[in-house]
Amino acid sequence: MHSPMEQFEIKRLLDLRIGSLDASYTNSALWMTIAVILATLLFVYGMRQRALVPGRLQAVAELGYEFVAGMVRDNVGSAGKKYFPFILTLFVFILFCNTLGLVPYSFTPTSHIIVTFSMAIVVFVGVTIIGFARHGLHFLEFFVPKGVPAWLLVILVPIEVISYFVRPFSLSIRLFANMLAGHTMLKVFGGFVVMLGILAGWAPLAFIVALTGLELIIAFLQAYVFTILTCLYLNDAIHMSH
Amino acid sequence: MRTPVYSALAALAVLGASGTAHAAADGGMPQLNFHDFSPQVVWLVIAFVALYLVMSKAAIPAISDTLDKRQAKIQGDLDAAEKANEETRALVTAYEKRLSDAREEARRLQRERSEADSAAAMTKLAELGQRLGAKIDEAEKRIAGQRSQVLEGIEDMAHDIAADVYAKLAGEPADKAALGAKIALAKGGR
Repeated sequence: MHSPMEQFEIKRLLDLRIGSLDASYTNSALWMTIAVILATLLFVYGMRQRALVPGRLQAVAELGYEFVAGMVRDNVGSAGKKYFPFILTLFVFILFCNTLGLVPYSFTPTSHIIVTFSMAIVVFVGVTIIGFARHGLHFLEFFVPKGVPAWLLVILVPIEVISYFVRPFSLSIRLFANMLAGHTMLKVFGGFVVMLGILAGWAPLAFIVALTGLELIIAFLQAYVFTILTCLYLNDAIHMSH
Repeated sequence: MRTPVYSALAALAVLGASGTAHAAADGGMPQLNFHDFSPQVVWLVIAFVALYLVMSKAAIPAISDTLDKRQAKIQGDLDAAEKANEETRALVTAYEKRLSDAREEARRLQRERSEADSAAAMTKLAELGQRLGAKIDEAEKRIAGQRSQVLEGIEDMAHDIAADVYAKLAGEPADKAALGAKIALAKGGR
């Protein structure tokens, strides 16, 4: 029997190098590619008619667009319009990676901390740059809560600073851990089905069916959570609201 | 939050499973294999940038264009409906005005007609009255003529009767002239 962690192993399908940098095409890259192609199909092929009365694919594409547009509008306001393409890309990319990971024998790129952390650090650094670009050094006031007695600031400012710098970690670990946990659970119970055989194997099998449904919800939910937290961080940087 | 509980459950499952199954080849999580980091990041950047370009250059313009067009169409249709409604209201008002005008006109015509009718009737009545009056006059004249004729006849008869009576009483023919004078006297004395 295989280890439940084996599904997360990176396999090099094509060895590539950029200088001294290992840029091999791996199974992770393959499924990212598939995610991008499917997302492109949905959003470009689905919108090819630009019909006033949308068909099924177009309705889904518009739904995704409106969903993220609403998120940006409600959480960031009109100032977030500039960043909408990035946020929509983020949502669609994570959503497709997450859901495609539920296909048997597939690979989930978002189950790797390096992938989620890379996205989170881009968001974190980008949002920090936006904050300083908009408010200059006043952005540092973000770490000083207003209307608090001075002696309390000694405690509060470090807490604010730490909580700010923890953001990329919480953002990336939340997504990574959810994907890791879900897929591991599925694999473990899959192993139970084989172990218990035809007599009692149906019990873990039924559990897997239910768990797959749950995983589908989580795949969507985690994409949503990642996106909405990005929106909230962006809102903090733009409006410095606490 | 469900996430920590869920993760802990999974970690337990991993522990339980690694007891029964072989551990991964290098004994750890594949996620912590640093050799695999750079290819993942490189291809993440490539895939993400590709999707970003697709989204910002093709998908978002197409969708926002479609949504705008739909919004414009709906707004245009609503405006057209509102305009049509307005026009209908104006038409109904105009129709009602014409209807009441026509009713007024009809009433006026009816009144005029009845007035004209009664005037004509009056003229006819007057004409009839005149005609009848003329006939009555003529008839009266005729009656008067006949009466005078009859009266003349009666005078002649009175002369004859008086002459006869005189002849019978006196036994001799009467003097016609003296008798006529006597009769005229008697007639005048009456």
